[in-house]
Amino acid sequence: MSYLQRETPILAELCTFLVEDQYGELAARVFSVLARHGRQTLAALVRASYLNGRQIKHGLVVLIQQHLLFHSVTESDVNYYEIDWQQSYCLVRYGKVLKLVEDRYGKKATNVISNLLTLGHTRIVDLKEAYFPAPEVAESRGGETNGTSLGKRNANGERVNGTAIKTNGITNGVASKQDNLTNGDGGHANGVKISGTTNGDGAEEDAQEENTIQSVDELYAIIYHLMQQGWIMKVEDSQFLSPGDMHDQARAAAVDENYGGNNPTGNKDKEVLAADILQRKRRIRDDWLTVPKFPTRKRQNAEPDYGMSNKRAKISHGNDWTSHGDTVLLDAGYTTSQATSADLIIRVNPEKVTVGMRTEQLALLVETRLGYTTSQIYRVMLRLLETNLARCYEEWPDRIKDDPDAPIDSRHLVTARDVAKNIDRSIDLFESLDPHAIVQITRKGHVDKHHRLSNPIDPDSLTLDDKTKIIDKHIQLLSDDPFHFVTWHSRAGYSQWHVEFEEIAKSVIQQEVENTVAARKGALGVKLIRALRKKGKLDERQTCNAMMMSAQDLRGVVNDMTVQGLIQTQEVPRVERREAKHSIHLIWYDRQRAREKLLHDTYKGMVRIMQRISYERGKVKQLLIKAERSDVVGNEEKWLNRGELDALKKWKEVQEKLLLQLFREDDLVATLRDFIGPLISV
Amino acid sequence: MASVSAAPSPAPPTKDESAPVLATEVSPADLLYDKCAESPQGTVFFQRELSNMQVANSMAELTRLLQDLCDRHLMKLMTFDNEPCWKLRSKTEAEKMRRLTPDERLLYHHIDQVQSEGIWSKALRARTNVTQQVLTKCLKSLESKDLVKSVMSVKFPNRKMYLLKHLRPSEDIAGGPWQSEGDFDNALISIVSTAVSQHVEQETCIRVPGDWNSYTPVDRTAAIAHKKAQVQSVQDIEDTPTTKSFRPPVDPSASRLVHRNNPKYPTAASISAWLMSKQILRDKEVREDDMEQLLEMMVLDGRLEKISGTNYRTAMTASDVQVFNGFVDAPCGNCPVFDLCSDEGEICARTCVYFGEWLSTESEE
Ligand code: SF4
Repeated sequence: MSYLQRETPILAELCTFLVEDQYGELAARVFSVLARHGRQTLAALVRASYLNGRQIKHGLVVLIQQHLLFHSVTESDVNYYEIDWQQSYCLVRYGKVLKLVEDRYGKKATNVISNLLTLGHTRIVDLKEAYFPAPEVAESRGGETNGTSLGKRNANGERVNGTAIKTNGITNGVASKQDNLTNGDGGHANGVKISGTTNGDGAEEDAQEENTIQSVDELYAIIYHLMQQGWIMKVEDSQFLSPGDMHDQARAAAVDENYGGNNPTGNKDKEVLAADILQRKRRIRDDWLTVPKFPTRKRQNAEPDYGMSNKRAKISHGNDWTSHGDTVLLDAGYTTSQATSADLIIRVNPEKVTVGMRTEQLALLVETRLGYTTSQIYRVMLRLLETNLARCYEEWPDRIKDDPDAPIDSRHLVTARDVAKNIDRSIDLFESLDPHAIVQITRKGHVDKHHRLSNPIDPDSLTLDDKTKIIDKHIQLLSDDPFHFVTWHSRAGYSQWHVEFEEIAKSVIQQEVENTVAARKGALGVKLIRALRKKGKLDERQTCNAMMMSAQDLRGVVNDMTVQGLIQTQEVPRVERREAKHSIHLIWYDRQRAREKLLHDTYKGMVRIMQRISYERGKVKQLLIKAERSDVVGNEEKWLNRGELDALKKWKEVQEKLLLQLFREDDLVATLRDFIGPLISV
Repeated sequence: MASVSAAPSPAPPTKDESAPVLATEVSPADLLYDKCAESPQGTVFFQRELSNMQVANSMAELTRLLQDLCDRHLMKLMTFDNEPCWKLRSKTEAEKMRRLTPDERLLYHHIDQVQSEGIWSKALRARTNVTQQVLTKCLKSLESKDLVKSVMSVKFPNRKMYLLKHLRPSEDIAGGPWQSEGDFDNALISIVSTAVSQHVEQETCIRVPGDWNSYTPVDRTAAIAHKKAQVQSVQDIEDTPTTKSFRPPVDPSASRLVHRNNPKYPTAASISAWLMSKQILRDKEVREDDMEQLLEMMVLDGRLEKISGTNYRTAMTASDVQVFNGFVDAPCGNCPVFDLCSDEGEICARTCVYFGEWLSTESEE
């Protein structure tokens, strides 16, 4: 986390806004003190702010619950608090996380993740309580739910761990941001409104019922499945260690074990030690992802459709779980299992989220380059690989590079056959292929001179074998593309492909830099960047030659881009007296620098959007208060006049547009920052 | 390269001028000139050939005639393999020469000697020992008389090279076929690159009409399920027909470009051979490395993609809408005052006109 942990003032500002948006002002104030002063003790925090100890503690509780802070106990038993920047930034992604999970595992799983995000880390048993509360709680709650037909399982505003829980999490990004209101004080439950915009009318209620988790068993099955897929992980104390503390601990342990507590002196030894520390850190981290044994003895099932798997599981086990009472089953489960799982604390795994984001972004990129069908095929390939990818890149790689010829783990390979079995049948597999390729495979008819098939073929009528071959053609396109989206690995019945994520990540960063330049300086700027990227440091004449343009046409754009920090200049004196006239003037492009500059600017752009949102909200503040009154909600037409309704509508549009842009900027941040570590360039 | 010289031919010496009605007045020198002018332009004459023309009666007379012609700048003395030889100048040229000052003539002589290689003004001065002022003045006047021209050297971009007006500068100073007068010939580059990109597209892509596969969709799954239902008179829930995607009506005239199946990706060598065979460029030769330069430039332009070490193909985008990224599509990403913008103060998100415009909302004054 070291690279991501490197915070800049602008990131601190952005995160403070995000915290305020989600958890209120108190949490944000505590957060901002930590952001400004860095690692602090409680006492120092009190000194540095105008808040009293009680308030600060409240703030800290919220922040810690959401993993926004590291807190480490040192030898002196003083607690230090430090911001976890990656997790804090992640707040902007919550809406996206839900979307990713929904696409992969359906609405029910989304619902679980949504709750986990709202709650922060949580004990499984508490999560269960939220869904299936003990009867008396349910009764006392009965009056509160006004007129919803969601049944007892949709526990709105249930009290868990002092935070409000919102189980009805089928939301898009926009709505989830509005809805994730948790009470910062953590004192009492806070009823959460269901946003009227997301769930429309009664028609949705049936679907709702279908998407409601029906039993504890099902809930456990979902959690278990999501843990196996790596989206949910255990919470362990070591996760609260700041990167520095974690390093120190790993180091201390390594020194103790291997060198009897004495620091090694020789260079060789130091290297061995460094490698050992890295290995220890990796081991600690990888351990977070191990899936403990679960009380439910569900088959490991890769199918996202829980309704179906439930049915099948029931049949195959020949044991009707639902005939037992929920509580009975649970107790039985606990006693027979290792008794750890109920108390197991779980959270959403942020690293997996970036893996999911990467899949989606790459698929989108393929769509713009090669078309829809090929992108769908790529998406299937990437999702198949996702299960075995814990993170986008190894942050603590061994200094000694792995043997490049080392065989690739077969779990990181995928074949056209795998895709053929998993691809959505409604996709026209022929799209964006050369008709000749299709005839070659189907062996029916020929291609006429207008490139039409003499015997048209319904893509739906293909055999699995032909389908596989057609998909192989698409994969070939993926592999031929200059991005080299896939790489051929070997033939084992079918061609096995793997994805060189690191190389692609670099190209995608380059792509985003070029996109930025294209928007600002047009094709000429992009050409310049590409020329410099390819040729390294160039003087004016060489630049002209590479771009086949005259110097006058270039100077303007070179200057502008230097000012924007996207290209660098250098003057190399040729004579002893350093005279500009006699110096060689070089320009070059440093991908890492451009990347950091663009990342920084993007953070700043996001801050501006957050500021504009709050400004726009301020303008309609009175109206919003009125519109949120319980008697007005649902009866807007009755209580608000035309002007107010229009203003409200306009505000919703404005907010949506801004948030959408914010999320798109977050996509850019992911590309620039999360898919690969620092690049050593030039 | 001389064979494809683009130099405008000097006005051919016309006979009308030199063959007046009074033939008796034609001096032997003029006669010699006329005889020589019958040969193709640019021919070099050696003494043996000249004496064979039988204008002069003796060696001494020939020498005198030649001297006379040289003095009148109608002929130029050269050496070839240590043997003297002569070449004709057109009469107009000679006329111009006659009007030159001695300094100008000296410079002209040196410029003439280097031919298409051209000579750098500094080198010229070193050889002739004239002062800078004289040099500048003379060169200007020579240029204005259309006798010499200057080009910027490609090798040394700040060197002005002089050569005779009608000569085509050598590649060394003028660069490859893409350059003229020391600068890139944008018009030429654009014509050739357009032709090349069409050629590459032909080779590596295929344009597929909208109705290339006009099948009638048969809903097989539904048909099977239907059959089954008929037989069993109850539908198995596992066999619910899969939903078929809506297939939009295709417009037969809408075509789309796709990558060719198993294409032969062209290389710099194959493309330059193609270009030469097409004879798009009449008087220029495009060699393989000239072509490579052009192709690499087109890759930078995003028109071509490099597939492997030497192969190129058309760069395609599947969608026409240009989206950049989340940052630059928002106002701040393209903002001219981005660096001045802060949290508070005159330029900030609250007062921002760009946001106001983008959202069509009011900003703070
Ligand atoms: S808020 Fe407005 S003024 Fe400030 S950087 Fe963004 S676009 Fe520019």
